[in-house]
Amino acid sequence: MTLKKRYLRTVHFLFIALLLVQLLPDKLTTDTYAGYVIWFAVGVEILTLIVSALIKKPLGLTLFVDIVSFIYGLLIAWTLATAKFNLLKPSLFPPPGRVFWQLIGDYEKIFTNILSSVGIILQGYLLAAAVAIILGLLLGSSERLGNVATYLAKFLGAIPPIVYIPYGIALLPTFRSVSVFVIFLATFWPVLAGTMSGVMNVDKKTLDSARVLNVNRFTMLFSVILPASLPQIFIGCNQGLTVSFVLLTSAEMIGAQSGLGFYIKNYSDFGDYTRTLVGLIVIGIVIVVISFGFNKIQKYLLRWKH
Amino acid sequence: MSKIEIKNLTVDYTEKKNRFTALRDVSFSIEEGEFVSIIGSSGCGKSTLLSILEGINFPTSGEILIDGEPIKGTGTDRGVVFQHYSLFPWMTARKNVAFGVKQVNKSASKAERLQIADEFLEKVGLENFKNKYPSQLSGGMQQRVAIARALAMDTDILLMDEPFGAIDAKNRTILQELLLELWEGDGTSPRKTVVFVTHDIDEAILLSDKIVMMTAHPGQVYKEIEVPFARPRNRAQLVQTKEYNKFRNRLLAMFYSDIVNKIGGEEVVL
Repeated sequence: MTLKKRYLRTVHFLFIALLLVQLLPDKLTTDTYAGYVIWFAVGVEILTLIVSALIKKPLGLTLFVDIVSFIYGLLIAWTLATAKFNLLKPSLFPPPGRVFWQLIGDYEKIFTNILSSVGIILQGYLLAAAVAIILGLLLGSSERLGNVATYLAKFLGAIPPIVYIPYGIALLPTFRSVSVFVIFLATFWPVLAGTMSGVMNVDKKTLDSARVLNVNRFTMLFSVILPASLPQIFIGCNQGLTVSFVLLTSAEMIGAQSGLGFYIKNYSDFGDYTRTLVGLIVIGIVIVVISFGFNKIQKYLLRWKH
Repeated sequence: MSKIEIKNLTVDYTEKKNRFTALRDVSFSIEEGEFVSIIGSSGCGKSTLLSILEGINFPTSGEILIDGEPIKGTGTDRGVVFQHYSLFPWMTARKNVAFGVKQVNKSASKAERLQIADEFLEKVGLENFKNKYPSQLSGGMQQRVAIARALAMDTDILLMDEPFGAIDAKNRTILQELLLELWEGDGTSPRKTVVFVTHDIDEAILLSDKIVMMTAHPGQVYKEIEVPFARPRNRAQLVQTKEYNKFRNRLLAMFYSDIVNKIGGEEVVL
């Protein structure tokens, strides 16, 4: 990449625009904490410059700076609409500086809640994926069982897992276990369906190649059928992950005493919309990070596919 | 005792209430260390015959004996190369070969298996591609890996089902010569018994000790022909000799007379 392509990007002009916007006189009478926006923007800008210097693929850089541009643009619009022109109701829409200030002030509490939420999602999700993949491999190996189980998974998977929450609350000891249970169900059916569809559609040529190598049943199942079904299994896992995110916060909003869903619900009940926004942003970041990690794993495990 | 004895093999299929006879009363035998090609037009049951030898298909009646023992299924005494690249797409070339070695040689350590894989990939000229996935290799290269795997497994018998059928003419020639070279060896170790299915007469003559010509509908053995040319063979020299052309024309005449007699105007790929 040429220097021009690397560093001469619209994103840097947006950065300057964002700083200039912060210097406009406030119309809002309460403190807008503009300094926090400036520090945040400077941090993001330094990160952008580091990425610009190190990244190898031009397309990757374009994607990265486009995302940063979007964030800058959003912050400009948000600052203008709140602090600078006071177009929105300040109690519902605090200025961005206030949200950053709150985020930093609340970081310990937020950190604990992130751990709680991520713990729930990992437990429910990983347990469901492991059970569903193994069960799917076994059921899918028999055509008859596989057909029945496919219909069952489609039918049961179509029921929104949130309807099981009352049963979960009645039957399970803690609200945390209810959340894990709901995530488990949300992940289990799509992964099971994906695995079975993968297993039942493995290319006959692949199976024959393995058979003539005289592989034993265990090797056939775990070294041949499992990797051959992996693309389909990942379709199910992706679906499960999306639903899990939706359900995590919903489940935590009902009765839980920790987690990001609880954080949002708790403060919105008190009309603290600054913290509600903090919660929303943190959930967004957590989802992006988990999805990013998931995509990396998927890309690595399916690196043989083009 | 012959290495492989095919005895009165009959295979009937039922498909949509129609009954087909894929093979009828096929009998012939193959000696140890012999390279035998089975040749015939499409529908003559040559691939069905091979699948029974592979142990993934079973006859309606009759049997095949290997070293006097009837085939009961797949076995580690036979290595197979299919027409359609039978590599596992999620394994690199090296892992594919090592995986084959693992199935026949359970006692070898992982390092030993990989070393054997490297050795055979070098023999087929792919030492620089050993860490590539099949999707990153051309059809000819994939087939080289499949041959490397079958050879690395060091089975007594090699079964090859039109291994070069989907490969362009130039690469097919190169692969035939590679196979010939690897199979003929340097005389230090005994040659493997090979059953090679093809519909290419030149390929059959170049490679084989014996050609079994089959006819279609139903699949039957039409004739067994010994190939009279001395080894090691060299294609460039062989094809210029009078004897070669005479022999080839004789086979072609047989092949066509059979086709005209048996299936009339159906399309035949030579």
